[in-house]
Amino acid sequence: MRLRANITPWLFLFPALFIYLAVIVFPSLYSLFLSFFDWNGVSADRKFVGLQNYINLITQDSVFQTALKNNLIWLAGNMTIMIGLGLVFALILNRQLKGRVFFRSVFYYPYVLSGIVVAIVWSWMYHPSKGFVTFFLEKIGLEEWAAPWLSDPKTALYAIFIAAVWQGAGLPMVLFLAGLQTIPRDPYEAAIIDGANPFQTFRYITLPLLRDTFVIVFATTMVGAMKVYDIIYGMTAGGPANSTQVLSSWMYYQTFKYNYIGIGSAISWYLIFICMVVIVPYVIFISRRSYP
Amino acid sequence: MRKARKWSSLVLVFALVFLAACGGNSNSSGGKSDSGGSSSGSGSQSGNQGQSAPSGDKVTISFWGLDDQMVYLDPIIKEFQQENPNITVEVSTFNTDPIKESLKVAASSRTLPDIWFNWGGSFASFYSKNGLAMDLTQVAADHSWESVYNPAALELAKYEGKIYMVPFHLASLGVFVKKDLYDGYGFQAPATLAELESHMARMAEDGITPLPVGGKGGWMLMRWTEQLIEHFAGPELHDQLNALEASWTDPAVVSALAKLKEWNDKGWFTKGFITMAPEEAEMYMYSEGGYALEGTWFDQTLSSNGYDPNNYLFFKFPNEQGAARMSSFLEGFQISAETTPEKQEAAVKLAEYITSPDVVNKYINDYGAPALSDFASTEAAPHVKLMAEEVSAGNFLITDQALPQEVVDKLFEVTDAVILNALTPEQAAAEMQKAADQYKANNP
Repeated sequence: MRLRANITPWLFLFPALFIYLAVIVFPSLYSLFLSFFDWNGVSADRKFVGLQNYINLITQDSVFQTALKNNLIWLAGNMTIMIGLGLVFALILNRQLKGRVFFRSVFYYPYVLSGIVVAIVWSWMYHPSKGFVTFFLEKIGLEEWAAPWLSDPKTALYAIFIAAVWQGAGLPMVLFLAGLQTIPRDPYEAAIIDGANPFQTFRYITLPLLRDTFVIVFATTMVGAMKVYDIIYGMTAGGPANSTQVLSSWMYYQTFKYNYIGIGSAISWYLIFICMVVIVPYVIFISRRSYP
Repeated sequence: MRKARKWSSLVLVFALVFLAACGGNSNSSGGKSDSGGSSSGSGSQSGNQGQSAPSGDKVTISFWGLDDQMVYLDPIIKEFQQENPNITVEVSTFNTDPIKESLKVAASSRTLPDIWFNWGGSFASFYSKNGLAMDLTQVAADHSWESVYNPAALELAKYEGKIYMVPFHLASLGVFVKKDLYDGYGFQAPATLAELESHMARMAEDGITPLPVGGKGGWMLMRWTEQLIEHFAGPELHDQLNALEASWTDPAVVSALAKLKEWNDKGWFTKGFITMAPEEAEMYMYSEGGYALEGTWFDQTLSSNGYDPNNYLFFKFPNEQGAARMSSFLEGFQISAETTPEKQEAAVKLAEYITSPDVVNKYINDYGAPALSDFASTEAAPHVKLMAEEVSAGNFLITDQALPQEVVDKLFEVTDAVILNALTPEQAAAEMQKAADQYKANNP
């Protein structure tokens, strides 16, 4: 009887757990296994190289180094600017404003578009002679600022990032809005009675009560930032001179274009490692301080 | 206890069913559809293109092709099946990048189709080198391919002296320019690079961008780079460079890169062209002018964009190396080395049918540039036959198929860097050699 009681929950869990293990855990561990080999994906000759793929990427592959740096810049931008803007929009549109439903839709709408569509639209906007950005700068007397932003390695990544923020800020906004609407009115009323100013209210009531939402927003934004690919591919294809390559695109190149399965797998594990290093401590920290 | 055992048995059965469903079969002939692909299959009939009929048993073969070729391949395959009732072709179609990815995935899981479309050079050689594509040398001899296909196409179908592809399209590239623009200036097709440059300078003076190139992805700029290398290096050294048998630090490579930089400094490329989409650059060329280094597909591209290809002039890049060699590449069909002999026979028959003169001529308006020795010309594609004749005089394999892919990407990177002043031509050439050495070290 006791055995049955112990087994029954596992039996219900088994189908989902089995699928999860088969299609997520096993392939992931298999890619970890492959990352220790020099292998082209089809040859019977699979040579064990230990950590050499990981070491070579860091020490010899200049494109990987650029891609890693770009991912970290992208990550920092997402965690600050993207989330910050999402929070600001959410705070504004959580108020009793006229037309707030319309503006919520307007800010969220770009998120629905595919990265490639956004890339095309913004590539036109940045067109060095016919684009809106150039036209606008010329109209306001800043023609010396009008430059081929996407063709300059110093500005290309940031120009793409602006397009990505335009597209992506709607998601954290919606998540924060959902979080804000779960906060009861009582603490705000008590704060008003106690004479708290708007900043204090935000700092000591809104932010702490949004902690659980922040976990979700941080995790999804971070994973999205590490996986970024389509908008960069669409706007610059990693150029000019590989200056906008990111880890996802370099992983794709190594695996599918160059047939270096071990190196591609090693890049994917670098991605996982970076995500884990940031997300796991953050989630643990937040969870401990989370309200029940 | 009995119930617990019953539950355990159920779980075991479930696990086994799941594992069986996940298992692959390298000889499977079922139609497949991968990401980016779609599939369909239909049954059929008899007849063949003059070769021996397959055995009387029915055989089903899987075929992977490109979406945009199905306009004419669909009816061709249907007709093939009507003429060959014992053969059923199950078709899956893909876009350009998805077919490359899906083939790689299928190769690593030993689930390649029986016959698949592929580009030549380093794309096809991956399957030949790894024993996945069928050696067709004997078939070519038995079926007298040398009297059917363009010799340049057959040469490009080879890997280490053996034929591994059934030639389908032979694309060759030349310079296109608007006729009215050239007539207006009174220009003739240039015989030398200096003459071409003088024409470009004249256009630039009048505010026409002489080189509307879209540098995104690298391949459009590469077409000019490789012609400059051919010009400065000559055919022999150029071939050695592509085979990684000569040093990329050769002065000829440096001169070619320096020439590109010179053209950029003169403002002959579109402003900010390095990350501009090739399609955008082409639109400029159609309407306003400038030169385009395009291939045998260009007539169709012009027509589909509403321009009359008869209004455009074609000439070979004046590389001043005797009979100027054209950059060219092959598209063809590879056949699985791992499938059954019956399926191989049926797949060869299908590929030969698709590329046979009668079928090609019937569908010539949509077909593109056939890899045949002779085919009908059409008003809708006035340059195709002319280019096919010109390529017979000499050709070299286009750089992004001649070089290994990581070396190709390095070439794209260093040409960008030269244009952007991030590297000198000498440094860029040295970087190329480093990439070539690295490739050779990784692939002894």
